[in-house]
Amino acid sequence: MGARLDLFSAASTEGAWTVGEVTKRARAVIEAGLPPLWVRGEIAGFKAWRSGHWYFSLRDKSAQLRCVMFAKQNFMLPAPSDGMQVFVFARPSMYEEKGEFQLTVMELLSTDQGGLWKLAFEKAKAALTRDGLLDPAKKRRLPPFPRRIAVVTSPDGAALRDIQAVIGRRWPIAELIVVPAQVQGAKAEASVCSALNRISRLSVDVVVVARGGGSVEDLWAFNSERVARAVAAMPMPVISAIGHETDVTLCDLVADLRAATPSAAAEAATPDKADVRITCDVLGQRLARALRIASKHVVERLDRTGDRLVSSMQNRIERSGALLTAHGARLDALSPLKVLGRGYALARDADGQILKRVAQLPSGKEFRLRVTDGEVNGRVQ
Amino acid sequence: MAEFSKQLERLEAIVRRLESEDLDLDEALKLFEEGVERLRVAREQLSQAELKVKKVLEIESPS
Repeated sequence: MGARLDLFSAASTEGAWTVGEVTKRARAVIEAGLPPLWVRGEIAGFKAWRSGHWYFSLRDKSAQLRCVMFAKQNFMLPAPSDGMQVFVFARPSMYEEKGEFQLTVMELLSTDQGGLWKLAFEKAKAALTRDGLLDPAKKRRLPPFPRRIAVVTSPDGAALRDIQAVIGRRWPIAELIVVPAQVQGAKAEASVCSALNRISRLSVDVVVVARGGGSVEDLWAFNSERVARAVAAMPMPVISAIGHETDVTLCDLVADLRAATPSAAAEAATPDKADVRITCDVLGQRLARALRIASKHVVERLDRTGDRLVSSMQNRIERSGALLTAHGARLDALSPLKVLGRGYALARDADGQILKRVAQLPSGKEFRLRVTDGEVNGRVQ
Repeated sequence: MAEFSKQLERLEAIVRRLESEDLDLDEALKLFEEGVERLRVAREQLSQAELKVKKVLEIESPS
């Protein structure tokens, strides 16, 4: 009875609660009575604010709950979309300013098609494919003998140590330019993009983007479309080595080459100086042999020219000889001496005139008679 | 010092030219001398033992 009376007395305006007192009290009751819990439902009215906070409702057939997920909780998470079935881990609370019962979401998992990560990955991948950034024909060849190699990675991670060791062993001729970047956390995306941007303005032959293994959240920056586009826009070839062999990120897909580990990336980026030394030795041998052959050719050509000279002279001499013999024979045939040899004689007078007719030889005419072996004097009787 | 890849490319070109063309002895000798010099420089570059590491400081992204 007394309680009833008390209730009536409480109904008097005196001692009325303020709105703030009620919401505050309600909040305390809710937070004390309902510990953080997993809730399952469908997303509706999703809205991401500029502040980074997300507001949405979770609903099922009969009811709905207002939810907030603050930026510091969602920063690495791809945004869900309406209609998606999700699990949230949330703290039930009271949003006092509006007097609304709400869930403050700390974790959000999607049950659709492999979860939010997978969905976001596929969405970004589709956009990159549409823009031709995953075209295998776009992959550039790595320089065989890089002069400057840039590495984007955490300055104190194992990845950098591994890369430095491998390049130091294989190709110390190169210069290694380390561009430190945050490879996980809220600033990773911007940090990696800014590092790539810096390198794009340097004279660098090849870039290695590396990060050791980690959870899907840890590798998030390398699945961001922004980082993928920055990699694709690099003016020089990029090798990507993100996470473990089983993790394939968008950065890996866009890069000119994907390496399973940071060490493998360093190997792919460099030749082994021992092999190059052998190449040099072989070239040296070929050089020496080529000179020998070239000089041999020259000598042979000289020899050939000499031979031609000699033989052409010989020919000429021989030809001259033959001509001389022929001329001699002809001369010989025409010689009167030859006729005399056959028994003919030649009569000439004192003046040397040849006496061919009887009229030239009157009685008593003196003449000289030429026979084959000499001359005799004679007189016509 | 010329870039290593340029050095090696030129050396390969010299060897190929010496091997394939009928050259004057004069020209062959000139090529050979250049080849030997390039080979010497390449080997010298290969003998470098210490990797040079340069760190470029991170600049905070404006966004």
